[in-house]
Formats: sequence, structure tokens, C-alpha cells
Amino acid sequence: MEQELPIIQIRNCLLVSIQTELHDRLALDLQASLMERVRTVNARGVILDVSAVEVIDSYITRILNDIGKSVRFMGAECYIVGIRPAVAMTLIEMGVELDSVHTALNLDLALERLELL
Amino acid sequence: MKTVEKEVGAILAGTISSITQRSIFNRLGGLATTPIQQLTAADRATILSELENSVRLFARSNSSQLIASIAKALSAESGASPGGAGGAGGAGPAVLAAPKKLPIEQEKDIATARLEAWSEAVRIGLSKFASVKVATAVSELARNIVFYAGKGTVELRSLKDDRGVVGLQIVATDQGPGIPAAKLDEIWAGTYKSQRGMGKGLVAVKKLVDEFQLDTRPGVGTTVTCIFRGER
Repeated sequence: MEQELPIIQIRNCLLVSIQTELHDRLALDLQASLMERVRTVNARGVILDVSAVEVIDSYITRILNDIGKSVRFMGAECYIVGIRPAVAMTLIEMGVELDSVHTALNLDLALERLELL
Repeated sequence: MKTVEKEVGAILAGTISSITQRSIFNRLGGLATTPIQQLTAADRATILSELENSVRLFARSNSSQLIASIAKALSAESGASPGGAGGAGGAGPAVLAAPKKLPIEQEKDIATARLEAWSEAVRIGLSKFASVKVATAVSELARNIVFYAGKGTVELRSLKDDRGVVGLQIVATDQGPGIPAAKLDEIWAGTYKSQRGMGKGLVAVKKLVDEFQLDTRPGVGTTVTCIFRGER
């Protein structure tokens, strides 16, 4: 089944709302299409909304960090928004880091901060 | 006949108004009027997850307690024989319900295992935070199976010891290549980096759970056994 996550443009930022299971293929496709879009629209930032994601394990964390790194290589910044409290606490306990991305409480705040960059 | 509606209604009486209850039961559709004895495990999981959201939303207090009582009411009447194999000698926690064995063969099984683990954790009354930890640990273990062994199983068992402490045991088993001792050292030292994962899955699981046991034999397979204890 062909599946692709929709990328929405808001001003000069790109937004992806993650509503499905991020498996290998999907994550790589997302990374590639985000990089392409960052280039074509001169995006200043990429925002990944994970408020619908109920479990983030070390593998998903790696995917998010990888996307963050690749976006940064392109000269844009990546924000993860909407991490649930229980997810955040679990990540802390696991000792994994989300160090290649910025985080913001919600979409509004992420847009606000990207404007200031 | 004891229907879901009647039993759960009795538990929620006084906490959630009958009008709100009506709309909650409407969301359950036909399940609301099903006799409790006829519920399957999947039905119970559906009902519980649906009710959990509603109860947390509408009950002013004790929502965890209410959910635990509902879980108990739903399973107590299910005709399934309670308790595990008797006479296994009182030592160690006893198995409460029949273990749930989930086959793990492809990436989509990881999501299924995670959901099953979550609903099982909620069913036995673990806190919301603990349930997310359970689901995360199962996700890591199932992922290891798919990535490194190809296929295996994840087993979930609810546990109870003599003081009545409820916990959940997770057993992830595969007949994959096993982990060589040298690699294992690197994993625990945090220096191992796999191609697909971060090589941090096992370390993460170990940090999340209360008890952790790894049995791996190169060429034979790997079994990870871990236990979550309920917070009191």
C-alpha cells in the first residue's frame, strides 16, 4: 500500500502531522520529500506535530533526530511539537535524547519562534 | 442478565450523571447491551479503552479507581477460570489471567503489540504513565524481534503476589541469531550502534522496567523477560 504523509506549507514553514505508524519506508520517504520541499520553497523551518503519537520509542526518536539533522544541513530548523507528558517522561526514563530538533508545546509557539529566527 | 451497561452503570452511579452515561454507552454500540459472560477479550479491551477516555473526561475524581473497578467487573464475570496453574508452589508471583501471546513477524505487528500491551496495562489498573512505559517497552522489544530475528513472540501476563500487588510481565522470545557476548558488552556500555536502530533499545527497556532478564544464545535465540510493578 502506497502511503505518503501530507506536507502542509504555512508561510515559509512546512508542517507534517504524524498520525500513522512511522515505519522505515515511510520515514525515509518523509525525510526525502521534506528536504526536497525545504529546497523548493526556501523553508525556514519544518514542524512535526506528534500530538497524535501515543508512544515514542528509541527508534522513532532516531527517525525524528535524523529528520532534524537533515533539515539542519539544508539550513532550516526542525521543531517537534505536541509531545505528550507521559511520552516526555518515558523518554527521560529511557535516557534517549531529542538533541537534533527543537521542541515547542504547540504549533503556534513553534511558528512564533521560527519567525524570530 | 448482567449486561455491560448494567454493571458499569452501577459502578459509575453517583459519579457520572445518567444522561452522560447514556451517551457513553451509545458510543459502545451493541457491546453495551451484551451480557458480560459473552464478551471476548477483544471486546473487553475495546470497552475498556472507550470507557477509560470517557471516565477520565467526566469523572471528577478517582478515575483510575473507577476504571480498575470496571475492568474487574468486566473480567470477573467472563466465565474464564481465574488464576493460573494451581499448585505451582506459592513462591513468586502467580499468573492472574491466561497470558496473551502475540506473534511478531512484520512491522505492523509492532503497533499491534504496543496497543495490546497498553490495553492490558490499563485493564490491570496500572497508571496512565506506567501504561505508556509498558507500551514503549513492548514497542522496543517487538522492534528488536522484527529487525534482528525476523520473527518471534511477545507474551503479556498479569501478575499478582501474595500481598495483592498487580504487575505485568512481558516475555519477548525469538529464535534469531542471538547476541554475541562482545556485542552485548558494547550494548550495555552504550557504545553499540546498529544500522537501523540506535542500539539503544535494550538499554531503554532495562531503564523502563522494574525487573529485567536477558537470556541470549548465539545461534539459538533471545528471550527478554521483564516485569512492571503497579504503583501503589
